[in-house]
Amino acid sequence: MRVYIIYIILIDCLVLGSLIFFLWRHHANHSRQLKEAVKDLQKFKLAVEQASDHIIITDTDGIIIYANKAVQKITGFNRGEILGKKAGSAKLWGGQMSAEFYKKLWQTIKIKKQVFHGELRNRRKNGEEYIALSSISPVIDANGKVNYFVGLERDISVAKSIDRAKTEFVSLASHQLRTPLAAINWYSEMLLAGDVGKISLHQKNYLNEIKEANQRMTILVNTFLNISRIEMGTLAIEPQPCQLADLSREVVKELSAKILQKNIKLVENYDKLPLVNLDKKLVSIIFQNFLSNAIKYSPDNSIVEVSLVLEKRRVIFSVQDKGIGIPEDQKSKIFEKLFRASNVRLQDTDGTGLGLYLSKAIADNFGAKVWFQSKENQGSTFFVSLPLKGMTQKHNTKVAI
Amino acid sequence: MVKRILIAEDEISISKALQDKLQQAGFEVKVVPNGHEVLEILAKEKFDLLLLDLIMPRLDGYSVLKEIRQQGLNLKIIVLSNLGQSSDIEKIKELAVDDYWVKSEISLADIVKNLQKL
Repeated sequence: MRVYIIYIILIDCLVLGSLIFFLWRHHANHSRQLKEAVKDLQKFKLAVEQASDHIIITDTDGIIIYANKAVQKITGFNRGEILGKKAGSAKLWGGQMSAEFYKKLWQTIKIKKQVFHGELRNRRKNGEEYIALSSISPVIDANGKVNYFVGLERDISVAKSIDRAKTEFVSLASHQLRTPLAAINWYSEMLLAGDVGKISLHQKNYLNEIKEANQRMTILVNTFLNISRIEMGTLAIEPQPCQLADLSREVVKELSAKILQKNIKLVENYDKLPLVNLDKKLVSIIFQNFLSNAIKYSPDNSIVEVSLVLEKRRVIFSVQDKGIGIPEDQKSKIFEKLFRASNVRLQDTDGTGLGLYLSKAIADNFGAKVWFQSKENQGSTFFVSLPLKGMTQKHNTKVAI
Repeated sequence: MVKRILIAEDEISISKALQDKLQQAGFEVKVVPNGHEVLEILAKEKFDLLLLDLIMPRLDGYSVLKEIRQQGLNLKIIVLSNLGQSSDIEKIKELAVDDYWVKSEISLADIVKNLQKL
């Protein structure tokens, strides 16, 4: 019996002891966790504070409640001037973009609750403009409510100006190349015409090679020029009433030698269309690229179909081929600059990877859309939608070189 | 009918090709290498047509055009340049030229054909 009591006391003591030990341990753990959390917070705060990118936190109305050091360094405003003011306002570094731009920004982050990405033209306190690559994210709590916005910006003015200088160089070089190209074209034309004496068949073949290579180079140089115009924002749009079927027929005619060479059966299906106010040169560039790709990547003796379909608000131009198609994993890159799919690189080393990039860039410029459907080894169809209401005139803002 | 043609072009390879081809086609041709000399020769001699480049030393094509319009000289003017963007063409057409051709886009045969139609 005594043994039993001692047992109970012993067990009690053990239970109590372990409870005390547990509580003591728990307390120690807790305060250690708290300390670590504080340390973590300090670490994060320091990291945010000293990051080289501009970081701000605003309330749901866009009033700035935090700005890191880089904000002061990049914008030139000190924290006292920044805190409590509205982000993006003209009183600070913002307000340089269109009202529509800011409207879209707020809609994205506040109503759609999505991250906004974009390039912004900002102004430092000293008046100097700079370009910022910006992403603004809503901070959403467990109930889906937006609590704050976090704005990250990086000053990319230097990178932008280097990029611009490169584009200007391409533009200048292309302009300078066009005169000698014209000279080569004309002199080979005169030789071929027998203007300075009769030429043999062999000589004629060689001269034709020179002339054709020169024409390819002229097209390439024009492509460079157009791309640089788009990248500099100086591409002019000069709409005039135009019959799209005629335009398409002209493009087919220009490429007739290649169509004949591969014995391609070209089918043309044109809806009856009203006159549309379009820049013929620009639309032709898109048509040419679609059709010359279709021909280039089709097997001999196959069918290529060119169509113009009238819809309610737009005309769809399309070119369908039974060619090599686009590999599934590369479809997303097909309109990227300098991109060439792996199967076309194997077949033809000549291409530049600029044609579809230029086509899309032109279409983007006048509010049209380009897209495609494709299956590898079965063929592709490329589409461009042209607005029936036509294009808006846009003058070349830069003095031509 | 166009008979006497003045070519204003600073690039010798271009002006020589034009001169040879046009002379062969039966036109009477003179070449000057800058805008200043265009005005000088027009003050002394009569031409039916001026084939005008835009980018030239001393006086460029735009200034030549304005000067000719101001003086009220009566001759056909065709701009033959390499600018080729449609807005350039519009800008030039505002200066009331008879036509605008882009060097790298037109053949000599077409130039002759077009001139014979004028």
